[in-house]
Amino acid sequence: MSIKLHDLITKVRESSTTSGIREIISEECVQIRNAFRKEDTKNRPRNISKLIYIDFLGFPTDFGQLECLKLIAHPSYVCKRIGYLGLSVLLTENEEVLFMSTNIIRTDLASENKFIVALALSSLGNIGSVEMLRDLAPEVEKLLKSQTAYIRKKAALAAIRTIRFVPETVDRYVGRVKSLLSDKNHGVVVGGLQLLIEILKIEPKTISEFRKLVPGLLRMLKSLVDAGYAPEYDFEGVTDPFLQVFILRLLRILGKDSKKYSNQMIDLLTQVGTSSGLNKNVENCILYESVSTILTIESPNRLRVTAINTLSKFLSGKDNNMKYIALNTLLKGVNKDSKSLKRHRKVIVKCLRDKDISIRRRALDLVFGIMNKKNVKELTQELLDCLPKAEHDFRFDITAKVCTAIEKFSPDDQWQIDTLVQVLTIGGQYIRDDVIAIMTHVTGRNQELQYYASKKLYNSLLDDRYRNQKFIQVAAWVIGEFGDILLKKSIEENESIDPSQIIDLCQIIITSSRNEDLTKYFILNTLIKLSTRIEGFNETIKEIIKPFMKHVNIEIQQRACEYFRLFEDKELLVFSFDRIPVKDDNMEAQEIETVQETTNENSTKNTKVQENINQQLSHNDNQKSQGTGMKIMGGNNVITQNKTQQPSSIENLLQLDFNSNNNNQNVNKQTTNIQNTQSNQSTEDFLSDIFGTNNNPNSNNTQNVQNTKIQNVMGILGTENGMGTGTGMGRGTGMGRGTGMGTGMGMGRGMGMGTGMGTGMGRGTGMGTGRGNVNTPKKNPSAIIYNQDGLKIQMNFKLVSVNGIPAAMVQTIFTNSTPTPMTNLIFQVAVPKHLQVQMAPPSSKIIPGNNTGKVTQTFRVIKKQNIKTKLTMMTRIQYKFNGMPVSKQQEVKNLPLIF
Amino acid sequence: MIYFLLLANKQGKIRLSKWYQNFTKKQKTKLQKEVVSLCLSRSQRSCNFIEWNDYKIIYRRYASLYFMICCDTEDNELIGLEIIHHFVEILDKYFGSVCELDIIFNFQKAYNVLDEVIIDGKLQDSSKKSILRSVGTQDFLILNAPETGTLNL
Repeated sequence: MSIKLHDLITKVRESSTTSGIREIISEECVQIRNAFRKEDTKNRPRNISKLIYIDFLGFPTDFGQLECLKLIAHPSYVCKRIGYLGLSVLLTENEEVLFMSTNIIRTDLASENKFIVALALSSLGNIGSVEMLRDLAPEVEKLLKSQTAYIRKKAALAAIRTIRFVPETVDRYVGRVKSLLSDKNHGVVVGGLQLLIEILKIEPKTISEFRKLVPGLLRMLKSLVDAGYAPEYDFEGVTDPFLQVFILRLLRILGKDSKKYSNQMIDLLTQVGTSSGLNKNVENCILYESVSTILTIESPNRLRVTAINTLSKFLSGKDNNMKYIALNTLLKGVNKDSKSLKRHRKVIVKCLRDKDISIRRRALDLVFGIMNKKNVKELTQELLDCLPKAEHDFRFDITAKVCTAIEKFSPDDQWQIDTLVQVLTIGGQYIRDDVIAIMTHVTGRNQELQYYASKKLYNSLLDDRYRNQKFIQVAAWVIGEFGDILLKKSIEENESIDPSQIIDLCQIIITSSRNEDLTKYFILNTLIKLSTRIEGFNETIKEIIKPFMKHVNIEIQQRACEYFRLFEDKELLVFSFDRIPVKDDNMEAQEIETVQETTNENSTKNTKVQENINQQLSHNDNQKSQGTGMKIMGGNNVITQNKTQQPSSIENLLQLDFNSNNNNQNVNKQTTNIQNTQSNQSTEDFLSDIFGTNNNPNSNNTQNVQNTKIQNVMGILGTENGMGTGTGMGRGTGMGRGTGMGTGMGMGRGMGMGTGMGTGMGRGTGMGTGRGNVNTPKKNPSAIIYNQDGLKIQMNFKLVSVNGIPAAMVQTIFTNSTPTPMTNLIFQVAVPKHLQVQMAPPSSKIIPGNNTGKVTQTFRVIKKQNIKTKLTMMTRIQYKFNGMPVSKQQEVKNLPLIF
Repeated sequence: MIYFLLLANKQGKIRLSKWYQNFTKKQKTKLQKEVVSLCLSRSQRSCNFIEWNDYKIIYRRYASLYFMICCDTEDNELIGLEIIHHFVEILDKYFGSVCELDIIFNFQKAYNVLDEVIIDGKLQDSSKKSILRSVGTQDFLILNAPETGTLNL
């Protein structure tokens, strides 16, 4: 026997335990299921009601979904009402079943009983899915013209949902909405206003047409404002605040960016905006809305000042809601009227200490909004003062704002450093990661600052070495980077610092177990940098680093090992840890992007290098990439002077050559690509040169050894920079220092990446050499792309797949039929923009004469998009023949490869 | 635009929930919990607005019941409060000084009233009287319907 809903609720409420409730419900569900199975039409409404209740308690009710459909299909209003309620509660998730109700709703929309139509409209408006709304849009449109106001207002709201979900239906309602606005019934007008606001949101083009409504809207608003007591719409003495607010909101949209229509509104807005008493919420609603409108449209200054004053009245009141709103709205008006805001600064700052987090958040935003170079010192101090008392989450917001303030509004450099140190001291653990970047930025400019910062950080670290990790990290970086300046200047100022004290401090920190591994990376870097900056401590530093070669953290271990090895090559050590050059602001953002995009565990070291540069450059726009290129080259030139005999500035060579010789439309792109290849090559050059100077016992196996060596160096550089990047610092470092560094930076995305790279490189050895030796199978297509002056270049193509996208592996074979060997071989490939090339190093730089041997170089062409394409490329070959440099470049087309 | 409306008691038990955006049941439960605990943890003197993800919760307490709506951040917070109040006043008049028990036992009626006040997160009518009139007529229809005798909810 089925019990009544009321009894079920009572029963559930009487049961004290959850298990008791579960029992009652499962028993009831069995009953209901049985009733459904027996097609118990009499009890169906009751059962669905019960199911709605059961659903409410959180139990599964899926089995009742179809029964809801049966109920709404029932002709009687009583059943329909329960059925529609069931529909909205039980079935919103299941769009398929919901869609089955479309036809029933369509019938109901055409019903003669206005309450049945209303049910269908509400239901459509509340839960209608895209398909339903699209199908029923014509019906809804028709109902907008209904005789009954009750139906019209509901149809307006159903129309809003329709255009919200199916924007293409908006045209249907554009023409209808005007008549709704002139309706006598407030409900219909409220619906019409909201519909129009939604239309303007979806179809902003229509705004000029609807601007013609402004006079009418103003009349309507005026009659509401001036109206006496209207019993039907009276809200504590205000006539229909809802309608007023919606009109004001619509006026805001229509008046925005239109001087003409804004002018029409001014009189009435002045009246509304200056009236009222601040006591009742209803009055404040309208005042608030009108202030928002005044601040948004093109209103004259005096009106804006009045609006801001109204808000400040809100601000100084006791009501927290009003405070919140004032802060929130002032922020919107802040750009244009910061002068009139100045007077309220005290109140705003006071809100920073409010008990209510909502208010404090708004106040923080606003304080930041009114910040400028003049008041930044004061305001930042205020922010720092409330930092220690703030909640955990809020502290992150505060430190972020302080950091941005330091970057953006700094009046002088010393203040920047002082504030940075201060925020690090009191809120270091809540600070965002790129604080080091800011530090780099700040200290990058001159030695005075570098000294000041390093002295300050060093002394405070000396006072208390149990500071937060971020503080130690920043201090470690600064001390490492500017250790020599610190020592030199301190002697000049007669406050000399004992270098051994610095090293001791580092040792204490790195051996302390309370410091994070990340901090230890920083200290390792500090130590290795200090070894190049301070004389006479190499052995001590080696001793400190030594135990970390067996550290449990693989990153520390690797770093320690690499650094330890680096001591063997003094020159490389000094080069690798040279001071970072001054950072170029424009490049910052770009490089972060680049660094983040770098992933591809499978590629070999060289392809990886290539890829990084490729990405780096191809993602920048042309101008930027030139800049990057320049940087790389800048670094390279230094190397050239020191190490290699590269003829001239590579940059010049490339730019001029290509700009003059190449008429291709893609000149710039190609130049970029060539630059990539070039820079990669030169990396190898300089690296191999470095190692060429080493006493290498195994000269037959030079290439392999070179590879490994390069990898070592790359590993180190990668790690060094990876570390820097992890903290947002390496950008400047890597880029300025030379190609090797630049790429290294690209690879080491962060700490984790750094490690990944170390291993990835090891793998690279095997692959790099392996590939050179394995011959491509003969089935694969091949082509001779060059055959001049005794040099023959053959390409063997092989299709491979990289991450599911086909790519071409191209083995290039160089043979020399002249008796003289060709030396200093450099082979470069540039591909169109939609492709990407990754080069491996050549098997040798010398092509022996008389066809007695061959040189192979493999590269891979990857598609950026998966489109079928023909492989075309630009190649350039450079070599020395009889001591004379030869350079040839040519476009390679019609290759037998489509991929 | 109101995305959802919740009604919970002081203990955090949901008494009414209406969703104008499609959520799965799981999401609903999660959101409910989050929003209700946020509102309940506020002190009485705090303001009635909470910034929550990219939305704003506007809530108001009436005796033991919390009414909460989730709105866009740029919505007029005060009119949000006023909409809540509008709904509460209508419930009050409809049930005759409404209390939690009225809503527990007559949740269908409460939903029905809500459907007359808000559709798709938008206010439907600013006149309490006209809403009460139409709700009254509907109840009258039900009382006098031939099926009601057998319906016996």
